Parts: sequence; C-alpha cells; structure tokens
Amino acid sequence: MSNSEELERALARYVGAEIGPPAVGPDLVNAPMVRHWCEILGDANPVYTDPDVAARSVHGGLVAPPTMLQVWTMAGVALAGGGGPAADLQQELHALLSEHGYTSVVATNCEQVYDRYLRPDDRVTATTVIEAISPEKTTGLGTGRFIDTRTTYRDAKGERVAWMTFRVLKFKPAQPAQAASPAAAPAKPRRLRPLRSHDNDWWWQGVARGDLLIQRCAECGTLRHPPRPMCGACQSLRWDSVAASGRGVVYSHVVMHHPPIPGYGFPLAVALVELEEGTRIVSNVVGCAPDAVRIGMPVQLEMQDVDEELRLPLFRPVSGAAEEAR
Amino acid sequence: MSGETLRFDAVRDGDRLPELAIPLTATLIVGGAIVSRDFTPVHHERAAAQAQGMSDVFMNILTTNGLVGRYVTDWAGRDAVLQRVAIKLGAPNLPGDTMTFSGRVVARDETERAVDVEITGANAWGHHVTGTVRVRLP
Amino acid sequence: MTRTLRDAAAIAGIGQTEFSKSSGRSELQLACEAVKSALDDAGLSPRDVDGMTTFTLDTTDEIEVARAVGIGDLRFFSRTPHGGGAAIGVMHQAAMAVATGSAEVVVVYRALNGRSGQRYSQGVASDVVTSDLIHWSWYLPYGLLTPASWVAMFTQRYLHETGTTSEDLARVAISTRRHAVNNPNAFFHGRPLTMDEHQSSRMIVAPLHLYDCCQETDGGCACIVTTPERARDLRRGGVLIRAVAQAAGAEQEVMTSFYRPSLTRVPEMEVVAKQVYAMSGLGPRDLDAAVIYDAFTPIVLWQLEAFGLCKWGEAKDFVRDGGLDLGGRLPANTHGGQLSEAYIHGMNGVNEGVRLVRGTSLNQPARNDHVLVTAGVGVPTSAMILGKM
Repeated sequence: MSNSEELERALARYVGAEIGPPAVGPDLVNAPMVRHWCEILGDANPVYTDPDVAARSVHGGLVAPPTMLQVWTMAGVALAGGGGPAADLQQELHALLSEHGYTSVVATNCEQVYDRYLRPDDRVTATTVIEAISPEKTTGLGTGRFIDTRTTYRDAKGERVAWMTFRVLKFKPAQPAQAASPAAAPAKPRRLRPLRSHDNDWWWQGVARGDLLIQRCAECGTLRHPPRPMCGACQSLRWDSVAASGRGVVYSHVVMHHPPIPGYGFPLAVALVELEEGTRIVSNVVGCAPDAVRIGMPVQLEMQDVDEELRLPLFRPVSGAAEEAR
Repeated sequence: MSGETLRFDAVRDGDRLPELAIPLTATLIVGGAIVSRDFTPVHHERAAAQAQGMSDVFMNILTTNGLVGRYVTDWAGRDAVLQRVAIKLGAPNLPGDTMTFSGRVVARDETERAVDVEITGANAWGHHVTGTVRVRLP
Repeated sequence: MTRTLRDAAAIAGIGQTEFSKSSGRSELQLACEAVKSALDDAGLSPRDVDGMTTFTLDTTDEIEVARAVGIGDLRFFSRTPHGGGAAIGVMHQAAMAVATGSAEVVVVYRALNGRSGQRYSQGVASDVVTSDLIHWSWYLPYGLLTPASWVAMFTQRYLHETGTTSEDLARVAISTRRHAVNNPNAFFHGRPLTMDEHQSSRMIVAPLHLYDCCQETDGGCACIVTTPERARDLRRGGVLIRAVAQAAGAEQEVMTSFYRPSLTRVPEMEVVAKQVYAMSGLGPRDLDAAVIYDAFTPIVLWQLEAFGLCKWGEAKDFVRDGGLDLGGRLPANTHGGQLSEAYIHGMNGVNEGVRLVRGTSLNQPARNDHVLVTAGVGVPTSAMILGKM
C-alpha cells in the first residue's frame, strides 16, 4: 500500500468524529469580559454595556455580542504553549498532516448562526465534530487540504444557542518566490514603480519637480505623449518639452474592482484625461467617489506623493464637477 | 452608532452601508486577540508571526468577526439582531494599515423581517474579509 | 507547381547608426535612427512601410518603432528566435512576405546597447529594460494593470458615443452561452445565462461585469496546415484558407492605444478586414458563420463593425436582432467562445472554424461556405476566412 493511500485511510477515520468531550466555558458569560471586548473593538452598542438602555431594548436586558461566541470556550493561555501531546482529535489530526508535509495552517471560512444572544450568567458548552477533510487542492498559498468542523454551542439547560462551521486549510507552503502574500514584504504594499530609461527619465524628473511635461518636437512643434525618441510626423530626433497647464477633461474612465491589487486602494478610478494642450494621459481621479467620474468632467492636475519615493500626477474634479456629473 | 434602529420597511434591496475605516493599530490587533482569549503567539508576538513568514503580528479571526458584527449593527442600530455571520478570509490585517468596510443589502426576507448584507473589509493588500450578515430589524 | 523565393525579393536601402561602447540613448532610439536612415537611403517615406521583422531577442517591439517613426498600418510582422542565428532568418521572413504579397515594403531591424546595456557576455540578465516595460510604466503606477481594465477604458467611451448599454454586452454573452450549453467540452455546458445573472454579476472593472470577461483555462489546441493538393488525399480532406492576413494600425500600442483620435474603432482590424476580403474576393455578405475573438463581450461588437457586418455604432442592433444566434444573420462562436467554452488564446476558435466548414459543429448553421475566424483585439492582430475545397 502506498504512503498516500495509507494517509487517506488514516484521515478517513477522523471524519465524522467528535474531537473530544464537550468544552465547558471556564467563565460564565459576564459583563467585564463583554466590556473589554467592546472597548477594544470600538463597539458602542449600548445593549452590551448599558443595563438601562438594554432593559428598554428588544433584548429586555444586557446581552453579549453574538460574535463573541467562540470566546467563552477558548483555551486561553494554553494556546501559547505549543508542543506537548495532542489534547484532542483535532490537534491529533493537525499533527498527522504536519508529519505529511502540510505544516502550515490558515483559517479560510467561518459561519456562525445564532439561535439567541447570550446573557450574563449563561454557561456555554461546545461540542465539535470534524465534518470533512478535502482531497489535496492547489491554492495560492500552496497545496493542502481543507478541514471543516462544526461546533454546536449549548447553554446550561442543554438548549442549543448557536452553531458554527469553521474551515481551515492545512497546507505545504508554496516556494517563497511565488507567494503572493505579505510574507517577508513591507507591512504596507506600494504601487508598482515605473521603469526608467533614456526615453522617459526626463519626464519623471519633471514630475519630481512638480511639472507635468509634454514632449514637443523641436522641428515641427507636434506634441506627443507618451514620450518617444522620434517625431512620428517629421522624423526629427530633436525635441524639448512644455509644462502642461494641468487643466483637462475626462475622455474615458474605468473603476477597478477585481482583483484588488495590493498597494492601490480599491475600488480605484482610472481615467484617460485629455489635457487642454491636446495630448491624453492615463492617471487616477482623486477627490470624488470612483463611481462619480464621468466622461467630459473637467479635472485639474494634483501632484501627490503617494509614498515616500513615488510622486504621481493625479487629477481632481474641479470644484462642483462631481456633483454636476451626477 | 445612532440611537434609532432602521425599520425593515425602510431598507431597500441594493442599499449601501456607509463606509467605515478601521485603523489597524498594534493595540487593536494584540488587544483583540487578548479580549477574545486567543493567546496564539502569532497575534501578539512579532517574532512568532515572522517565523510564519509574516512581517508583523496579524489580526485573529475572532476580532474580524467582532468588527464585522459591529459594522452591521453600527449601521442598523441597537435593536437590530444578528442572526448569521458568514465570512471568508483573505489578506491578513497587519499593523499600520487601514481596513475599510463597505456593504450592500442583497436580500430581504419579508416573513422574518430580516435582511442579508454583503460586506467587504479591504486593506492595502486586498480583501481581508468578505461575507454575508443576516440581521433582523424591527 | 513549385514555388520558390528565387528572384522574388530585393534589398532597396540600408541604414545604420554609429557604433560605440556607449550610445547614450535607448535601444528604441537606435532602432528608429537605423530605420529612418535605411528609408532615406531607399528614398521611401515611413508611410510606405507595411511590414516589419526583427529578432525575438530585440528589446524593442515592432509597433514601438512603428509608432515612433511614424510608420502607418502594418500588414506583416514577425520575429525570429535564436540569437545571431536570426540574422538571415529575418531576411527570409521579409522575402517571404514580399514574395507572397503579404507586404510590399518590409523593414528589417535590430538595435542593441550590447556594451553599455545588457552584455550577453555577462550571462543571463533578469533586469533588461525593454520598450515593452517602458510602455507599461505609463500604466503601472496608476493601477491600470489588467486586460479587463484596458478593454474597459475603450468600452466606456464606446458606450458613451454609441448609446450601447451593458445589457447589449450581456446579449453577446447570452448568445454565446446558449451555444456552450450544447457543448460537453465547454466549461458552461448545460448552464444558460440570464440577463439578470449577467447584470447582477460582480463588477470586475466598471463598466465590465464578470460575465463580460472570458474564462481562464488550462488546455491546448493545434491544427495542421498543408497544401490543398496534399490535403485532398488525406482522411478528412481539407478546409481551405481562402484568405489570411495580419495587421497593426497606425499609433498602435499593445492594449492601450488611447492616443488615437477615436477610441471607438479598431483600425488594425479594419486593415485585416480589407485584406481578407480583397484576397478572397468575398465581402461581408458572403460570410455564413464566424468565430469572433471574444476575450471580452464589447470586442465582439467592434469587430462586427470593423468587418462591415453593420455600420459603426450599430453592432448593438445587430446583436439585439439575434444576429449572432443560430438562424441569425451571422451565427457566431458556435462552440461557446472564449466566454463560455474555454480560453485557449483563440486557438479553440480556429478548431471551431474548421468544424463549421466541415459541418460538424455541435451548433451547426445551415449555410457554411465561408467562415470568418478572427484573433485578438486591441493588439496587432489577424484573421482568416475559411472555405470548402
């Protein structure tokens, strides 16, 4: 029998199994823990923290935020321990997959359905079943297996108060070079840099000085953008440049939604701006909602340092234009 | 959040929620892990996070769940009752970034007086979280 | 009959730059100077050129040189691989183009900063600044990074000028999907598309929805080209290539030709259309079916107009009238297209074109004497008309 068949058989034994005895919440649902949660998350809903308002609310008294569901039975500091023998079947399963090279884990999905909000002094008990283990799948992170668990939460009377399904990917990390993640990258992604060459460096130097330049043929005066070394009208290699006034109108535009590319901020308005000098340039429109950009909208140049190293000529609707376009 | 709770009859399919920008401070990320009793080291120790290939500590899923719930009830009001929160996780939330929530009503259930809200929490890397929240309204 | 290249082509001009250890300018500029110098030597103007060929190793795209020098529409371009082995290969390409009438004036060029830039003696380099990367640098910092985004920029303007709507784009997707429903090889086999599904599908790049975009597919396609005489003796006989042509338009960029007077026409496709009609002696009215390159729904509309199947701005009416459907004016993408069968970069469309002429399409139209097959839009492109032997 091959190694992989052996693993499949071993995994099959976990499917459908309860991971261990029910987890009993070490604390009753209580106001201090709820207050700490609301404070750090900035949740100002008074039904969680103000007994008087809560009493007049649809709940008739204080309740805990339903999304705190998992908190009541979390293992706490024990989670920081690591190592040691597996405490339940779920840990045992993870250890088995780690042995087979699926060393990393990431949570991918979580669904919670609440039968009722928990109240102070509720005692929560959780029972977890391993519902499914997928065959090996290829993902952006690496090849791995999805593990689905289902946890049922009950109160002291044994009545169900909520259930949750949780999906994790246990995976073999892809080679670092192909990992499209923040791994080993700066905390904040940045826009892609333009490459510089003989033919465009002077233009970016203009931007650094605060000028939006337009290349001009020194023989026939034809303006051209994007820059190129020869004039297509008269084949002259002599050229200079003029600074654009910065006034223009939107000739066409798009709103980027998908895929969200790190470093830009989506949705993102990109426009083809026709400058009053007659050339066109692709840029972003800032200062209005992306979906408020319209063809024909008057815009004005705005030089912006988008990060420590990159300055870009961007455009902003001239005042009132965004409202008029609507 | 406003005192008034949205009435079911006032909510239309396609209604957009106001955006909510959450600054991702280390305080929020570490504090969120601690108040949710999630002491997994990657959420409070930078070295542990870096050993997993991340640049810094990153937000745990319980905090994300909590923020998703807050985003919807901030909009709907205090008497709105969350019935279901289903989320899918993407790019991690790291300190120094900002997560901006946007949302849209995608379904109305007349009998239950409940609406489904599709939410997205986007950071500089892309979508940290996408999901659907079902909330019952008066 | 045997055809050879004997006496079929000649060299009419030569040109070059100075040779140095440090040119102090870009390879694009060196290419421009050399080309201009050769044209001057021949007494030709840039507008006389209709073909270009160079090495695959050249960092400067043909269309970059064409744009910079002011060369107009191109009917032939090609590249030859394998370093120095290409040097006479490019002459061979040019001679074939001229001998076959694919082009009349072909520019052959090669320019490099072989000492001050990438030195081949230093081994393989990963940081060569090609003209292509400089071209993309006008878009990268602004996030205009995806094929959908480039096509969307043209689409927005097209919708604005012609009154075409997102629903019209949906009609293209729906028609194509209807064909895929009957095709077991199609990703969307058995799954029709409704207007509602299209309109509520998520935005990829506004104004393009998910279902305005083709799929991403793993797969391969191939076909065999031989002489008609040889094909006649083979098991399946042959499908005749009645005409085939390629073209790049004046002021062409790769996907981002945003600087032409109009954004709502595809001049390169108009040059292709003119050629295939002239070569075959056929016209739009002779076409019985088509495989129209459909990486995105709007490009189908622009091609209907470029090939003269309707007037400019009226492709929406052509589609509303069911023109692309079986039984319509021009049944198109009967395999489900790249939108609904698979995206194999147009080559699955070539195979469907052959099936249409053979009469073996899963959505076979009644008439199939002449079938148009087109290639990518927004880039230097090509098309052919297939017919019966």
